[in-house]
Amino acid sequence: MGLYALRRILISIPILLAITAIIFTMLQFTPGDPLDAYIPPDQVISAEQRTLLKQQLGLDKPAPVQYLIWLEHAVHGDLGYRIKNGQPVGLELLRRLPPTLLLMGAGMGLGIVLGIFFGVVAAVRRYTALDNGLTLLAFLGISTPPFLAGLLGLYIFALKLHWFPAGGFETPGQGGVLDIARHLILPALILSLLYVAVLMRYTRSSMLEVIHQDYVRTASAKGVATVRVIGKHVLRNALIPVVTVIGANIANLIGGAVFLESIFSWPGTGQLYLDAIDARDYPMIMGTTLILAATILLANLITDLMYGLIDPRIRYT
Amino acid sequence: MLRPALLTLTLALTALGTATADKVLTGAFDVGPGGAPQLFNPLTNSAGYTWLNKYYSTLVLYDAGFKKISGDLASSWTIADGGKSYTFVLRDGVKWHDGMPFTSKDVKFSLNLANNPDTGSLFAAKFNNIKSIQTPNARTVILTLSKPNAALLDGLTGFMILPEHLLNKIAPKDLRTSAWWRTNPVGTGPFMWSRYVPDQYVELKANPNYFKGRPKLDRLINRYFKEPAAAVLALKSGDIQFTYLSLDDTKSVQGSGVNVISGPSQVVNFIGFNGTDPRFSDVRVRQAVEYAIDKATIVKQLYGGGADLASCVVTNTKYQPKGLNAYAYDPAKAKALLTAAKWNSGDTVELMTYYGDQLSKDVLVTIQQMLAQVGMKVTPRFVDTPTYNQTLDKAKPTFGMVYAGSANGPDPDVLYPNLGSAFAPPNGTNRMRVDVPAIDKAFDDGQAQTQAAQRTRIYQNLCSVSNQQLPWDTLWTAKRFGGASSSLVNFVWTPAPGGGRYDDHAEDWDIK
Repeated sequence: MGLYALRRILISIPILLAITAIIFTMLQFTPGDPLDAYIPPDQVISAEQRTLLKQQLGLDKPAPVQYLIWLEHAVHGDLGYRIKNGQPVGLELLRRLPPTLLLMGAGMGLGIVLGIFFGVVAAVRRYTALDNGLTLLAFLGISTPPFLAGLLGLYIFALKLHWFPAGGFETPGQGGVLDIARHLILPALILSLLYVAVLMRYTRSSMLEVIHQDYVRTASAKGVATVRVIGKHVLRNALIPVVTVIGANIANLIGGAVFLESIFSWPGTGQLYLDAIDARDYPMIMGTTLILAATILLANLITDLMYGLIDPRIRYT
Repeated sequence: MLRPALLTLTLALTALGTATADKVLTGAFDVGPGGAPQLFNPLTNSAGYTWLNKYYSTLVLYDAGFKKISGDLASSWTIADGGKSYTFVLRDGVKWHDGMPFTSKDVKFSLNLANNPDTGSLFAAKFNNIKSIQTPNARTVILTLSKPNAALLDGLTGFMILPEHLLNKIAPKDLRTSAWWRTNPVGTGPFMWSRYVPDQYVELKANPNYFKGRPKLDRLINRYFKEPAAAVLALKSGDIQFTYLSLDDTKSVQGSGVNVISGPSQVVNFIGFNGTDPRFSDVRVRQAVEYAIDKATIVKQLYGGGADLASCVVTNTKYQPKGLNAYAYDPAKAKALLTAAKWNSGDTVELMTYYGDQLSKDVLVTIQQMLAQVGMKVTPRFVDTPTYNQTLDKAKPTFGMVYAGSANGPDPDVLYPNLGSAFAPPNGTNRMRVDVPAIDKAFDDGQAQTQAAQRTRIYQNLCSVSNQQLPWDTLWTAKRFGGASSSLVNFVWTPAPGGGRYDDHAEDWDIK
C-alpha cells in the first residue's frame, strides 16, 4: 500500500506541471495584465513609470521565460509575491488555508453524515411518502447552485430570522471558538447541501442493490436485529460506490466554497482566488491553482486508499 | 442562598455592561466605487480616501459640500508670485500617534516621496511642478512652483502627510510594498491603528490627543465584503452601521432603520468615440448620437430621477455658461445628420463598458435600441476593468464606442489627463485620443490662472467648446448613495471620486 501511494504521488508531479503550464498559457490569452488592473482607469502614469513597474513585476520578459522563472522558484518552495501588496504568495495562502479547510471540512462532514443518514432512511422506507419527499429535496439540492443557495440562506436565516450573523468569520474585535462556530454553521450547511443530495441518492440506490442479496436475507432469517442487519451487512457493503462519490465531488466542493466564501465574506482561499483573478495577479493565481490542484489530487489518492479499509478484498499492487 | 446568587448575577451583568460600553462603529467604508479595500499605501492609492482620512491627515480639505477648501494640518496659507509660491502655516502642537511632534519637515519629506519615481506614487503627476520646498521653521512650508498651478490645493486635499521619523528608515523603492502600511502605520488623524485582520477588517481606536479633540467613538471598524450585496445584508441585519448603496439598494433598505444619504457622484457618464477611427471624425456623427439618445427619459425611467443631465464635460453648475445646446431628443434630426455624414447603416459598432451593474446594463440596452431607430447599429459589450484598459491603451486602438465615466470634480482640472492631447496612451488616460487645441489651451490656462472669477470663465469656455465639438457625448451625472444606520449621530458621508477628501468631522461621530 505504501508503494502504491508513493507511485501515485510520483505520477501527480507531471500532472501538476501540466496544470500550471495550461493555466499560465490561458492567462496569456486573458485580456489585460496586472498593470492594467493595478493602475486605476482615471490615473495618469508616464510611459517611463509604466516600464519601470513592468520591470519590477517581471512582465517585460517573454512569456515562456516568465513561466520557467516561476517554475524554478516554485520548485524551491518560493511561489513569488502578490502584486497587490507585495506579500509572499505562500504566506498569503497559508493564512487563508485554515478558514477554507474549516469551512470545507465542516461542509463535507455535515454532508457525509446527513447524506448517508437520509440515504439509509430513504432505502429502508423506500417508495413511501418520506422517500419521495427526500428524493424531491435531493434533486432540489443537486440543481441549486451554491451561490444561489447562499444568497437565499443569508436572506432567510440571517436577515429575516436573525438566527445567524450575515456573513463574516467572526465579530470584529471579539472572536473565540463559539463566535466563529456561530458564523460557520450557515455557510457550512449550505456547502453541505450538494453532498447531502448526491450522497443520499447514491447511498439509497446502493443500499437497495445490497438489501436484496441472499446474505442479507440469511442474516434477517437468523434473527439478527434489523438495525444490525442494516448497519453491518447492508451499509458497509453499500458504502464502496459512495466513497468514490465523496472523492469525486471534492472538486465541486472547492468550486462551491470559492463562491460561498465571497458571498459570506469568509476570509479563505476562495475569496483570495477571485480577488487574484480580478486583479490579474499572475503569481497569486498560479500559486492558488497549484495548491487547489494538489488538494484535489491528494483527495483522490485518499479516496482510493479508503477502499482497502472498507473492503478487505481490495488489494493494492 | 438566593442573595449571593443575585449578587453574583448583578456583578456579572455589571462586568458585561462595562465590557460592552465601548462605542464602536462598524462600517463597510471600502465597498463601492470610492473604496480601495486592503490597500493602505496613500502614495499609490487613487481611492479609499474616506478610510485613510481616519488615521492620516492632509494639509487641506474640502468641506462636505465640495464648495470650499479649508485647512486641516495647515492653519492658513498664502499664494504669491502670480500663483508660483505657496506658503503654508502649520497647526501648532500636532503630534503623531507615537507622540513625536509633527513638523514642516514631515510635509517636505512626504512631498519628496510623492515626486520620487521609486515610490510609484500617482501624485507625481499633480506635484511634479513643485521646484523647491523650503522649511524656514517647524511651522512653515514654502512651495515654489516652476509654473502656476491653480489645482495644487485640490491635489493636496487627497495627499496624506507621512511621518519622516519612521519612514526615512525604509528605502523609497521598498515603500510600495512595505509591510509598514498594514502593520503599524502612524498618522495624525482622529483615530489610531489598532489591528488588521486580512480579508476581514481593520480596527482603529480613538486618538486621545487628536488636534480637534478626542473622538466620541472608542473604536472604528472597517469591514471587508467581496460582494456589495453582502454588505447591504449586513447593514439591514444590523451587523454594520454603514455601507455604500446602489440605486436598487436604496429601495430595499427602506423600513430597516437605515437612512439613505445621496449626493452627486462628481462622475460624468459619456459615450466616447475612438478618435483614431475615421468613422467618428465627422462631428455630425457624434451630434447624431446625442440627438438619438433620449437622455431625459432614461434619467426619469431608469435612474428614477437620480441623475442630472450633462451638456458638457464639466457639470458643476458654476462652470456652465448660458446658451448650451442640450441636444434634446430628436430622432429625425439624428437620422438627417447621419445621412449627411454618410454613415454606413450596414456597420455594426461595438459599445464597450466596464460597468457591470444592472442599471448600466439596462441603460446600454436602451441606448442600443434608440440608436438602432436612427440607423446606427451598436452591440453592447461588458468587460472588466483590466480588459477595458488594455483594449483602449493599445498603440493602435481598434475599439469603436465606449460607455464610461470620468471624475470631473470638485476641480475641473481633474479632467485634463482624460481630455488633453498630450495624454493619449501610453502618456496618460486620454483613451478617446481627443485632440482639440481649444480644450488643451483651456486646461493650461485654468492651471495658470489663480484668480477665481477668471478661472471660472476659462472653464465656462471649456464647457462651451466641449458642448459644440463633442469630444465626448456627455449624458448625465448620476447620484450615488450610502446607507447609515439611524443609530448614528453626527455622521457625515458624501459620495466622491476615490472617496474622502472632505472634512467629515469623524471626531464628532457618535452612536446611540
